[in-house]
Formats: sequence, structure tokens, C-alpha cells
Amino acid sequence: MKLNAGSIKNNLKFQSFMGITILFLIYKVFIYSPDSWILLIFNGLLTALTIFSLIIYLIEFSRSRKINPLALVINVGILNAVLFFLFTYSDSILSGLYNISTGRINQNIFDNLVSFFYSFIILVSISVIFMVFRELYFLKKKKSVSLYFNTMLVFFVLASFGALLKDIPDLHYIRDTFFIISVVLITVNSLKISWIAFIVKKDKISLLALSIVISVLFVANLINGSGNKLSDKVVIQFSPVLSQFFKIIMTYGAFYFTILFFTTLFHIPTAEAFDRKAQEVSFLQYFSKLITQSMDFKELTESLTEISAKVCNAHAAWLVWKDGEEFKAIANKNIGFYDSNILTKFIFESKNPKISDQTFFLNLNRFSNKPQLSDNYIHIAVSPLKAHNELKGYLIAVKKDDFIFDDEDKDAMTTFSDYASLAIENSRLLEESIEKERLEKELDVAREIQRKILPSHNPKLEKLQISSVFIPAFEVGGDYYDFFELYPNKFGFVIADVSGKGISAAFIMAEIKGIFESLSKTMESPRNILIKANEILKRTLDRKNFVSAAYGLIDLAEDTLSIARAGHCPVILIRNNEAQQIRPSGIGLGLDYSENFNESLEEMNIKLENNDILVLYTDGITEAKNSALEDFGSKNFESVLLENSDEEADEISKEVMNKVALFSQDNSQHDDITLVILKWKQNLKNNGVKEWQNSAPQLNPQVT
Amino acid sequence: MAEFSTSVKSSGDINIIYLKGYLDAHTAPILENTFSGLIEKGDYSLVVNFKDLNYISSAGLGVFMAFIEKIRENKGDIKLSTMSDKVFNIFDLLGFPLLYEIFKTEDEAINKFKEINKLENQ
Repeated sequence: MKLNAGSIKNNLKFQSFMGITILFLIYKVFIYSPDSWILLIFNGLLTALTIFSLIIYLIEFSRSRKINPLALVINVGILNAVLFFLFTYSDSILSGLYNISTGRINQNIFDNLVSFFYSFIILVSISVIFMVFRELYFLKKKKSVSLYFNTMLVFFVLASFGALLKDIPDLHYIRDTFFIISVVLITVNSLKISWIAFIVKKDKISLLALSIVISVLFVANLINGSGNKLSDKVVIQFSPVLSQFFKIIMTYGAFYFTILFFTTLFHIPTAEAFDRKAQEVSFLQYFSKLITQSMDFKELTESLTEISAKVCNAHAAWLVWKDGEEFKAIANKNIGFYDSNILTKFIFESKNPKISDQTFFLNLNRFSNKPQLSDNYIHIAVSPLKAHNELKGYLIAVKKDDFIFDDEDKDAMTTFSDYASLAIENSRLLEESIEKERLEKELDVAREIQRKILPSHNPKLEKLQISSVFIPAFEVGGDYYDFFELYPNKFGFVIADVSGKGISAAFIMAEIKGIFESLSKTMESPRNILIKANEILKRTLDRKNFVSAAYGLIDLAEDTLSIARAGHCPVILIRNNEAQQIRPSGIGLGLDYSENFNESLEEMNIKLENNDILVLYTDGITEAKNSALEDFGSKNFESVLLENSDEEADEISKEVMNKVALFSQDNSQHDDITLVILKWKQNLKNNGVKEWQNSAPQLNPQVT
Repeated sequence: MAEFSTSVKSSGDINIIYLKGYLDAHTAPILENTFSGLIEKGDYSLVVNFKDLNYISSAGLGVFMAFIEKIRENKGDIKLSTMSDKVFNIFDLLGFPLLYEIFKTEDEAINKFKEINKLENQ
């Protein structure tokens, strides 16, 4: 839409220019007579208006294009050449329509039209040339300079309109004064041509040739198009204002291009250095863009070698990257791996005394393997790549034949290798953070698996208060617990801790859940369930993984607990204000698949009493650490349990967690924390005997 | 945070591995490398000295399990010695005393190897 709006605006400008031109043409053919003062002045105004509207259109037109000063100069040259030929060869055509005796154009429509178009060509040409001067003037100017240019423009207009006084010799001084002031302003405004510095050396040389030719053309056209030539007479007849404006522009051109010639001439010696700096700057810009945008190591190193080779005018470049103690060539530019390997070996394997942490040069004049190289490489520049003060590799550039590396090449190499080190380090850091993010995602998945595996709520039983707390560690620890309400009057529970962490632990957990879920429904004896679980795990568990577990079964009708333990933390029984560790012997699941496992596994049977508290936990609690890396420990744990043993199960677990949190507040949690509290609430009404008076629990190890 | 290192001392055919610091999921690969290195050389009579070990996690215990089969197939063994009570408790809970011989001192472990060797030579 914006484009459309712009082109409509442009169209409008073009249309107004065309309108004015047609108006001018009608005026010329039907109304104009050089004898009337008013008509002459009106003629001048129309000339100015036509030029003005054309220039407005041209400015709008050129704004949409990128300005290339050299192209503009060539345009001026072509226009000037056209004018030159026009002036040289048009006399024969013009002589037919110009009456020498009256000094006027023949008053017929055809001759009028021809003279109009002839003059119009000149009008358009000088408008375009003026427009180009304007563009060149404002090009690369740092300060606001429009005041100088506009002042000059005002005097151009005044001097041009001064031409209307041609028939009053007494007032010629006005015209001439304006003209002289214009010339002075032209000289002043032409002196500072700032855009020269920014073009490359090759263009400067062409500009040198162009500017001398064009300035000569301007002088020639000034002489040709003025004086007593017919063309000048025709143009003066057409409009004295245009004739005068033409002379001013030709003078401007002659001055400008002469000055341009000398300015260019003085810039030539420094052109190369300027080009080089400009190139370096643009490469650095490109490179910093690359650092932030592309983090691909390969792409980065390849652009690096390419740019380095260009900047120091080397014939080939590559990087060597430290791989262990060896240096490997990568990102070769303009050189085969065969050659680069020979040269890399030459540089680094000969205990080269020149190797340092600065950029250094070598030459191959005395290199014995030189005939093996496919090109006549002679000079080598080597620049180290360092990240965190550690040497990572080298940037190497080579030149053929008689080309040598100079100090500027050295600076360029150093700059680029510094940048490269930074870029390479950046890309490495990014890769690390991507890896970290990947791990975090993986852990999210693991935590999600764990969350789904653990029971979402605690079963509600008449005789048993159940409370459970689970706090996952950042790196999933593999804790698992579960409850099984078994028909008709049994309640099973399991707690387990998978070795290792993260996603692999989470997967094993899932498997363990499946195993206990199904075994609890088909078998009753905790010992048998653990033996079976161990057998099943043999098929899938890695040698270095294992699972500690404890499985218990409560008979709700008989008030008994049977329990077996495979390497898990002992279950704590709180009875009569005393804590006892229920620790039947048993090896962790997955540690031993021989008979040894079955033989060592004990099952204990306990008669439950009112207010008995069974505490299941994982080592996340006892091994919770404070800032001094001391463990929370089982003593602390037991004393909290004892202090709160009169409370409800939920209250007890809350108190334990508070104490653990307080203890380890200055340290992060490294392992999952699981705490399950089961409180036996016997219906005393049915039971006359106060069971709690039987102080010692009946522990009946049953070894089979 | 976790710092862990191992060092190995050879005493005849027997290699003693000294553990130091915190052995957990992150540092376990260090110990794995130590074991792999010894097994590659054909050293199967190994004594592990736990004197300077502050902590061992389940992943750390797993390392011993990963190599024991191969070592025993080659008529070697891993014998554990000089554990602090805390470390021993962790091993004990999991039933490791049923799987590994655990000695109070490094010398006892070494002597045990020597006795076996003597018996075999006879």
C-alpha cells in the first residue's frame, strides 16, 4: 500500500510537469511574442516553473533508488556528450527556422514547434544535470549544508531572471553581478567533495578519467552553447532565462568536475589503505552479526577462514583445532586437506621456536617437503585462538609466490582470531545451555512420570490412619511408595528407592510399580512378593542398578503385620513412647539373583497394638543435609517421631517435614524425600485388654 | 559441590583403590573409569579403601555391582575395607555384607587375598 501511495504521488508530480509543459507549449505557439514585456516575463516564469516541476519530479524519482556517485557522474557525462553533439551538429537544422536578419524564429507553427522541442531537450538535460549536482552535493555530508546550497540556488534564479534585462544595457550589471556571485558560490560549494573518500580505489581511478573528460565537455558546451552560435540564439529566443540558467549550470559543471578531478587525484594514494580499512570494518560488522545469529560451529569457522583470507589478501586460510594433543585442520578455504595437513605438521610438529601466543610469521623457503605441496606457498601467518586464556587452536593463512604478510595483515589476523575465539566460545556455551535445557526437559518428564506413578490420595481405612508426604528432588531420585487395598480384609503397602537419578530411575520406578501392583494381588507373603520381584527384575535391570524396597501386609481382621525388607531403610515402629527399628534381613532387589537373595530374606510378623505407629521412609529424610553437610540422621528423626507420637498421623508427618526443612534450609535437596506414616487405631470397645500395656512388641523373625 | 577422587596403589598382584570425598550419581563415572582401567590391565584382585570417603549414594554402590561379575569370573574379587560407621551402615542396609567381604583394615583385606593365593599355589 505504501508503495502504491508513493507511485501515485510520483505520478502526480509527473502529471503536473507534463501539464505545465503543455501549457508552456500552447503559450509558446499561440500567445507568446518577444515584443511584449509582460509576455516575456511570463515566458521566464513558465520556464522556471517547468524546470522546477521537472526537478521536483526527478528528486522524487531518484529518492527511491540507492545513490551510486559513480553512476551519477556517468549520467552527467552522457548528457554532456549528447549536448555536445547537439550543439555541434544542430546548426544546419536550426538555420532553416531562424531568420538571421530579424534575429527571430520564423513565425510559423512548425518552426515554432521545432525550436520548442530543441530548447526543451536542453531544458530537460540541464535539469537532470542540476539534479545530479544536488544529489552529489548532499551525498555523505555530515552537517546540515542545505543553507549554502539554497543560497546558491537563489542566486542561480536571480542571475537567470537577470537575463530578461538583456535589452537594457544599463542594467546588465545586475545580471552580471548575480552571475558572478553565483560563480563564487559555485566555487565555494564545489570545494568540499566528501563522498570521494568512500568509494573504492578502482572507482576512484575511473572517476579520475571521467572527471577530466566531463569538465572538458562542460567547458566545450559552455563555449558551444553560448556566444553567437545559432543554438544559443534559438535558446535565447525561446527563453533568455533558460539560456542564462544553462550557462550557470555549465559553469557549475566545469568548476565542479575540475575540482573533482583534483580531489580524486589527491585521494588516489590513500585509496588502498582506505579500502582495506573499510573492508575490515565491514567484515567485522558481518562477523559480529554472525556471532550473534549463527551458533553453528562449522558455519562460523568457515566464514572466519574465508574472511581472514580476504582481509589479509592471503591465498588460502584454515583453522587448526586442538583435539587432545593433536592439531586438526578444519574449515579449509582455497586449500586441500592434503596441503593443509603437511603445513600444519610443519608448523607444529617441528618444535618450532617461533610458536607463541601472538600472531607470528613463517616462511617455507627451507621446508624440505615443499615439492609435495600443490601450490607455491611461501609465507605463512599463524594466529592463536584462545578462550578463557586457554589455547584452543590457531588461525593460519598462507600466501603464494612473492606475496608477503605485512604488519597490517598481522593486525588483521590478530583482530580476527580474537573475534573468532569469542565466537567459538559463544557457540560452545550455547551448545552447553541447550544440553542443559534438554536435561531439564528430560527431568520434567521424569518428574511427571513419578507424579503419575505415586498414589494420588491416601486410602481411608477404619482402623488405620494413613499419611504420606513426597517431595521430589530436582533430579528425580526414584522414590516410590504405594498402597494396596486387598480383598477382603488386607492392606498392603510398599516403599522403594531406585538407585540412580533422572529419567532412567523414573522408568525403573514405573516397572517396579507394575511388579508390585500385580504381585500384591496374586501373593500375600511379603517375602514371596520380594523374591518374585527380584526374579522379574533380573530380566530387565542393568547390572549397576538396584532397588531397595520394603513390603508389608496388614491383616485388618487379625491386627497383624507381616513385613519383609530388601535392602531398604528399616521401618520404625513407635510403641509406648519407644522407637524400634524393624529390620528383617534382606539384600536389595537386583543386587543378587542367586539363592543367596532368597535365603537371606526374612519376614517378620508383628501383632499390632492400639496407637502403634509405623514409619516408612527413604534415605532422603535421614540424609537431608544442612550447610555443614551433616546428616539429619536417624536420631533426630526418631526423636521428632517420639515427641509427636500422640498426634494424628497427618500431624506427625507435618512435624517431621517441618523439622527436616528447618534443618536443611541452607542446603538444597539432593534426593527425593518420602515419608509414610501408618497409625493403628484399634477399636478398644471390642477389646477389654489394654494391649498397649504389653510393652515389648512381638517380633517373630521367620527365616525360611 | 561434590568432590570425589580415587587413587590406586599396587601391592604385588593386589591393587588398592583409595576413595576420597563424595561418591554419588555425578562422581560415580570417576570410579567406573578407575575400575575399567584396572580390569583392562588384567588386575582382578582389588581392595577398596573407604577411609576418606564421606558419602556414598545408591549410584555409587551401583558401580561395585557393575564390575563384580566380570572380576569374579576372572577369579578375582573386590574386597572392601576401612569403612566409617556411616558408610558401613549404608552398605549394611542394602545387604552388601552378604555380597562382599568387608574388612576393618586394608591389611586384613590384603591378607585375605594372600591366603587365597597361597591355597591356590599349594
